[in-house]
Amino acid sequence: MTTSIHRTGSRRLTDGLESAAATLLPEGICRTFRVMPYASQDGEVLVAAADADDEITLQVVSERIDAPVVLVRHTANEIVAAIDETYPPVEDELETVEERRTRVQMAQMLTRSGLITNEQLQDAMLQHARSGDALGEILVANSAISEDILVAALSEIHQMQRVGLRDFTPDMEVARRLPEPIAQRHQVLPVADADGTLLVAVQRPMDAELLEEVEEAVQQPVRQLLANRVDLDELIQKVHGDHYSELATSFLMENAPEISAHKVFSTGQKVVGIGFLVLVAVFMVVSPMNTLIALVGLASAIYLVVSVYKFRLTLRALGTHLEIEATPEEIAALDERTLPIYTILVPLYKEGNIVKRLVRDMNALDYPRTRLDVKLLCEEDDVETIDMIKSMELPPHFHCVVVPDSLPKTKPKACNFGLQVARGKYCVIFDAEDRPDPDQLKKAIIAFRQTADNVACVQGKLNHFNQDQNLLTAWFANEYSMHFELVLPAMGAAEQPIPLGGTSNHFKTSILRELGAWDPFNVTEDADLGIRLHREGYRTAMIDSTTLEEANSSVPNWIRQRSRWNKGYYQTWLVHMRNPIGLIAKIGLKDFISFNLTMGSAYVLLMNPIFWSLTTLFVFTQASFIQALFPGLVFYVASAMLFVGNFVFIYLNLAGSLQRGEFGITRTALLSPLYWGLMSWAAWKGFLQLFTNPFYWEKTEHGLDEEEVH
Amino acid sequence: MSATVQPAIVTNAARLAGIVQAVGRRSLDVPRRRWESVLVLAVTTIVYSWFGFRVVAQQHVVSYEVLDRLNRALMIWHNNPAKLSAIGFDYPPLQTLLVSPLAIYRFGVDFLAVIPVASAFFAGLLMMFLNTMMRRTGVPAMLRIGGLAALGLNPLFALYASTGGPLMMWLAFLLASVGAVYAWYITADVRFVMIGGLGFAVAGLAGYTTLMYFLLAAIGIGAILAHLGADGDEVEGTMVGFAAPAIYVVALWTGFNLLLLKNPIHWITSAAPTSDAIEQFTVLGLLRWTGELVLYGAPLAIVVLPALFFVGLSKNNPFAVLLGLMLTLSVLTPAMTVLLGLTDSPMAMENAVPILVMSVIGALWLARSAGEGVTAISGLVVLALVASIPWTFQGMRTYKYQALEMVFTDAVLTGESQEGATTRGGQTVALDPSLEMGQFIQDLDVPEGAVLTDNAATYAVMLFSGEPELFLDRIDQSDGPWLEAARDPAASDVDWLLVTTDGDDLLTEQYSEVGFEGLTLYHENDEYRLYSVPEGFTGLTTVGS
Repeated sequence: MTTSIHRTGSRRLTDGLESAAATLLPEGICRTFRVMPYASQDGEVLVAAADADDEITLQVVSERIDAPVVLVRHTANEIVAAIDETYPPVEDELETVEERRTRVQMAQMLTRSGLITNEQLQDAMLQHARSGDALGEILVANSAISEDILVAALSEIHQMQRVGLRDFTPDMEVARRLPEPIAQRHQVLPVADADGTLLVAVQRPMDAELLEEVEEAVQQPVRQLLANRVDLDELIQKVHGDHYSELATSFLMENAPEISAHKVFSTGQKVVGIGFLVLVAVFMVVSPMNTLIALVGLASAIYLVVSVYKFRLTLRALGTHLEIEATPEEIAALDERTLPIYTILVPLYKEGNIVKRLVRDMNALDYPRTRLDVKLLCEEDDVETIDMIKSMELPPHFHCVVVPDSLPKTKPKACNFGLQVARGKYCVIFDAEDRPDPDQLKKAIIAFRQTADNVACVQGKLNHFNQDQNLLTAWFANEYSMHFELVLPAMGAAEQPIPLGGTSNHFKTSILRELGAWDPFNVTEDADLGIRLHREGYRTAMIDSTTLEEANSSVPNWIRQRSRWNKGYYQTWLVHMRNPIGLIAKIGLKDFISFNLTMGSAYVLLMNPIFWSLTTLFVFTQASFIQALFPGLVFYVASAMLFVGNFVFIYLNLAGSLQRGEFGITRTALLSPLYWGLMSWAAWKGFLQLFTNPFYWEKTEHGLDEEEVH
Repeated sequence: MSATVQPAIVTNAARLAGIVQAVGRRSLDVPRRRWESVLVLAVTTIVYSWFGFRVVAQQHVVSYEVLDRLNRALMIWHNNPAKLSAIGFDYPPLQTLLVSPLAIYRFGVDFLAVIPVASAFFAGLLMMFLNTMMRRTGVPAMLRIGGLAALGLNPLFALYASTGGPLMMWLAFLLASVGAVYAWYITADVRFVMIGGLGFAVAGLAGYTTLMYFLLAAIGIGAILAHLGADGDEVEGTMVGFAAPAIYVVALWTGFNLLLLKNPIHWITSAAPTSDAIEQFTVLGLLRWTGELVLYGAPLAIVVLPALFFVGLSKNNPFAVLLGLMLTLSVLTPAMTVLLGLTDSPMAMENAVPILVMSVIGALWLARSAGEGVTAISGLVVLALVASIPWTFQGMRTYKYQALEMVFTDAVLTGESQEGATTRGGQTVALDPSLEMGQFIQDLDVPEGAVLTDNAATYAVMLFSGEPELFLDRIDQSDGPWLEAARDPAASDVDWLLVTTDGDDLLTEQYSEVGFEGLTLYHENDEYRLYSVPEGFTGLTTVGS
């Protein structure tokens, strides 16, 4: 109902507050706009307003009350008292007098100078009402004004000098006087020493307590200079980048070498591996047929147990809904004032072409932008992407983080670098081409709140937005549907060690740091991290939220990506199996078996071509030596796998897509065996690369789905 | 000049907005109650195992076909050589395969404990699925117990639950499959379509009639989805998900039949009568016996069938129509198999069991469709089931086309062994000769493969010996080498020949010209003869030379 008038001779707040009317507006709106609905009279709702002439106030109130509204002028004190009566104030959540004064001044300054429209202000005020964040920062995050304008306005309001840092060359001795943790945490950096007074660039005026902390740390008086947040952030990275880079590369290797993949094979593994090969060679000479039968039997047994394990998991997931769910009502009920800062790490390499799309998708997240900390992680030598990001003049919740050029040049190293400058209580990784469900961050927060304290990670589901592009992308979508709709939810529900997916894994930042984050030498650092979390007693839960990625649509590109994944699985298995007894002692026998069966699927892919060749050869030649390789029980197991196992896996691919509601690609799942051929090809490539080039990162090219129009 | 088209973000909720079925969200199904399911399974299995052991092992009420399947299961593990192909192509493969785990250890096989245990287990599964279905229907606990007990005490159901493994196995899987479709219709949860599809595939390998039910279900699901406004992709995708398993098993089994028997449809025609002695029916006759089958075996269907169509058509209740069609199928199947020449036991009374089970499912749906009247209707169903117990018991004594129904009722009434009794079809119950000959051969301490026999006729002896590896049978190395051994037993290290006294076996047929001259009759009883092969016996090698 939008009919609204305002007058002064009506019934007043002092005549009494009707409880039914009092809750017609949410608390945030009441406090931000200083309004309070207090009575219904002749079909109209009387709303007390401090500024009854304000058009924005009138519009905001009218849009939210489903009846004609009358704004009745009251004093601010009267209104605040009524609000406090209706919504008893929580100390930490209330806007201070100083903050309110700054907000009002900021709004007046920007509107009077014509820098923002009434519409932009109204939108920002509403966001402020929900989140309590500073009006200026909201306006910057919404790209209504630039950070420079905000800094200028704040400088005016706080009567504080500004400093431009865009082309500033820091004096490293001065800049490093303030310890890095304080500089990073509070975004403060010394820029000059003027006669014993340290000039520090700050993003916002420091309060007395923080100022004291800084002065104590640098042991000299400090004067604050307001700086552009983007420039300041880049300067801090420049000053401390080498330190971050060193930690990103070597922290895990130096602090927990036993679980770092910097060495591919341990001495013990080399001895066992070579010993096994020698033994097989000796037996092959002594009794070749029996040795081959034993190898076929062993391979069949591995096939069988891996398949049964996977089948059991998927059946369990088919029977019930195992992910942690957050209903739309629960999401709507989240108080945005309580939302923490959320860091989003986005590793980029030569992906300047999709940065625009990435920014759009990050901005589409249903989360206050002022509480987002998006780190666009670029490699130093990727000038094209860095230039693209800079040219876009993104608001300060986007940070271009430049990772110094050093080896290994891997995604996990970039993420480790980004983690050190992360400000969020939680953090998540998205790939450049990812399109997360807009409510995913809120769902993750609800999941963290609902689950036990030892849940350190919640994994979102992954799938593809270009599944209809070609047969390969449809197969990829079938496979992901099975993995993320069935296998991982079942593993999560059973609290088994989960090999994390490449993106959309949300972490408690502090725990991630404590664990040493990602292993920069592991090319599936995500899978490895999942196992390491489990080793330390942490658990991973699945949430019912999907991130859409770009499925590889070209076979060579797909093979590159998949060979890296397989190589990483082998690496991960080798790392954690350096001391099997220790692993059992740490995670228990059940989870030890689960880990081996999960990783075993990568080895099954290696065996597939051998068995397919034998079957094909037998069908065409009926060769008796092949028949002799499958005596009695081995034959039964192999037959079961051939006729039942293969179909079951085809069907589970199909079931995953059905479970996800992707009915259009179910028929392609029936052709999955052809896809398995590609998977085996990639597995062999990855396996061989494990010996020849173990740390090489096979880069996946993104953006192949985008249609070029001329 | 080029520009990049930026695809719009489609949220998960928006993507699923037009989908009719419940995907990606928790469906409104009854909560799982594992303990209740396990309890129903355990109680049923124990009760029927105990009852079945009494009926089978002590009173000798058991079908020879069941013995054949059990012998094949034994051969899978213990034949020489052990072969999966022992399951053969004469029966649906799961009827043998799923019993085979019980034959890994010989213990229990040769004194017939395995048959009642297998039957009882699958009857238990059936009861468990039925109980879940009743929970979904909203039947109160006491009525669920009453319903299960009333069905369990039905004498026809009890006969096959305790002695007829294959029928109960098939019915259990069929009920699970139909139950999944039932759950799908109630919850709209697409996962039940998949469970139903897998169920029908398994049931299809346990009983080929399943494929007809599967076809009906597939058409029904497609029609219901279209009726609810699902788009083409959803209907097609759901159909693929539902149909793929059943189509795969049919294709696989047809391929095996083609590859090994050179006849892709052998599995369909394998139960066709092999002699002309089988009774011929007119259409009117088929109608009459169909009526009697329903009247005595599943009288509940007389009320449920028209009620399903009435509710379905008058109240826009498509699932009632689907269940009505399935019940109609179960009623017409016996007559259809006769008309198509696909059965050697026409209009047999065992055909009433699926009709009974489908009637119960239909009745449950009617109860559910009655809304608040669910308790009243399910109460009436239980009463009807109870009332039909004596009626069916009497029918089992009088119905013409039957196997062991009358013998079973005699066993229940007298508590005595039925060895030597005559069935309504004129066959004599005779297990003792097989038991005796099996025991005799076991005691002979013969080497492996020393007893040449046609396993298609002497399976009961092989089974009761507990050692199928002692026999050189037609499965060991297929018919070629077996015929060679029959021609010259000594050359194949055969010391004994086991044949039937009525001569209805392939070995006797081979020796029909020369008889068993030159062989020594070593042991004989009413059903079998065991000849020893003397040194220098040339077999049939001299015939025609």
